[in-house]
Amino acid sequence: MIADIIDDNVDRIRIEIINLGLTYEPLVDDVVDHLCCMVEEKMEDGDSFEKSYAKAFNSIGDNRLPEMQHQTLLLLNKKHQIMKKLTYFLGLASAIILLLGAISKHMHWPGAGIELTLGLLVIILGFLPLYFIVTYREQTEKKSIIYPVIAYLAIAVLLAAAVFRIQHWPAARIVSNIGLAILIIGFVPLYVVNAFQKAKKGKVNLAYIIMLLVGVAIIALMFNVKFGKETLDTYRNEAILNESRIFEIEQQTQVIIDYAIEREYRTLDEIQKIHSEAANLQKMIDEMLDNLLSSINEEGSSLEEIRKMDYEGAGRDVIVKSGWARDFITSAREFENSLIAIVDDPVTRNQIQDHLEFTGSVWFMEFGPEEVIYDPIIKIYYKHTDISKGIALAEYVAISSLMGDE
Amino acid sequence: MIANDLLKGTLRTIVLKLLADNGRMYGYEITKKVEGLSDGKIVLTFGALYPVLHKLEADGHIKIDIEYIGKRVRKYYSLTEVGRSWAERKVDEFFDFVNTLTYVLKPTPA
Repeated sequence: MIADIIDDNVDRIRIEIINLGLTYEPLVDDVVDHLCCMVEEKMEDGDSFEKSYAKAFNSIGDNRLPEMQHQTLLLLNKKHQIMKKLTYFLGLASAIILLLGAISKHMHWPGAGIELTLGLLVIILGFLPLYFIVTYREQTEKKSIIYPVIAYLAIAVLLAAAVFRIQHWPAARIVSNIGLAILIIGFVPLYVVNAFQKAKKGKVNLAYIIMLLVGVAIIALMFNVKFGKETLDTYRNEAILNESRIFEIEQQTQVIIDYAIEREYRTLDEIQKIHSEAANLQKMIDEMLDNLLSSINEEGSSLEEIRKMDYEGAGRDVIVKSGWARDFITSAREFENSLIAIVDDPVTRNQIQDHLEFTGSVWFMEFGPEEVIYDPIIKIYYKHTDISKGIALAEYVAISSLMGDE
Repeated sequence: MIANDLLKGTLRTIVLKLLADNGRMYGYEITKKVEGLSDGKIVLTFGALYPVLHKLEADGHIKIDIEYIGKRVRKYYSLTEVGRSWAERKVDEFFDFVNTLTYVLKPTPA
């Protein structure tokens, strides 16, 4: 009896299901039978057909059928399943390569740069695009292509900036600025709007929140937490202080040299020689500093501006790679040796050696590629003023010692 | 009620196990059986069930017998030979997992 009533209405149920958006025939058969069973059960409890039918249909909810069909077709889509597996694989592979790179960098093993770059490239070109395509396809609700595209661009460009920095390519700053611009102007407003909409429905996509956090972490790395504003300010202040000290010392030296000329000192030739050697070293330092400043793209950058900049690699490129450091240290050592040869008094000698301690191996290490790579420009600038001050002091001590002998 | 997220990964195993124990079943029967066995704590919506059934069929783990009840098409799902051994493995894996979780979450007092 009940079975007959149901049977009379099977076509009606089928049409209504199709109207709700279910078109995949094998699923339609499943759902029709399922609903019929539900109606049957309700009718056995004593409800009328119409009432049971309405109850069964209400339990479906409006969007469930298209969503179910979407999920089923994705599960059956081999290409999609392969893409999904490939996404997991690439994610895992890039994580392993990056981890290896990080360990290599920490242990100073060779190949760290290549590994980190490769890992990031796998993420940028492989994992991320696949991830966004897969999640985009799996969305059943209204699809906006703009959101995943902007999210991809922001993350990809920021990661590309990291590659530029690791490889010390010149445009790193520009690339990271572009990434930041996309993130701040494009992604963040979209994210906030989206989050609000989702919050209303009680759904927040955890993956996007994680992506955002990763982005923020990368930005934090870019601005190098190692050197806070206070540290950079300290270097700047000390550099300025050094410059004024150098000025005073050089003035004082000039005064005693003038005195020596006036009195026609016997050692005047030696004094003049020391003075010109020192001046030569000071000129080299000035040239290195000019070079350093011009490595910052803006014309005539001031100390105030470089304080804010932290372009790793500038010191290495300008000071070490160019050969400036080697030439300078060689000349400075010659200068030191010539002073030591002239001065007899051991205390004065010690003073000179102290002022020129940067020619020693410890200081020289500080100028080696390993160290300078990680130094912000302002720190390198400060080191130069410190060296310059040492030369000025050594010159003064040596000259005054020569004059004292008369 | 058991949260959907917890169920998500185990739905396939539940279906396989039911088919292994009961031979052939149709969709509604599976949802009722799960509801009964779990004392009403697990309610399988058909939105979750049918995608899994179709996926299992496409992968060759289960097969479909069609019977007509009047105008209705009733599909009975049952395990294939491949599906049967796979089901055993999946169920074993699941118990392994549950046991491990139990050790982790309920350590015996030292």
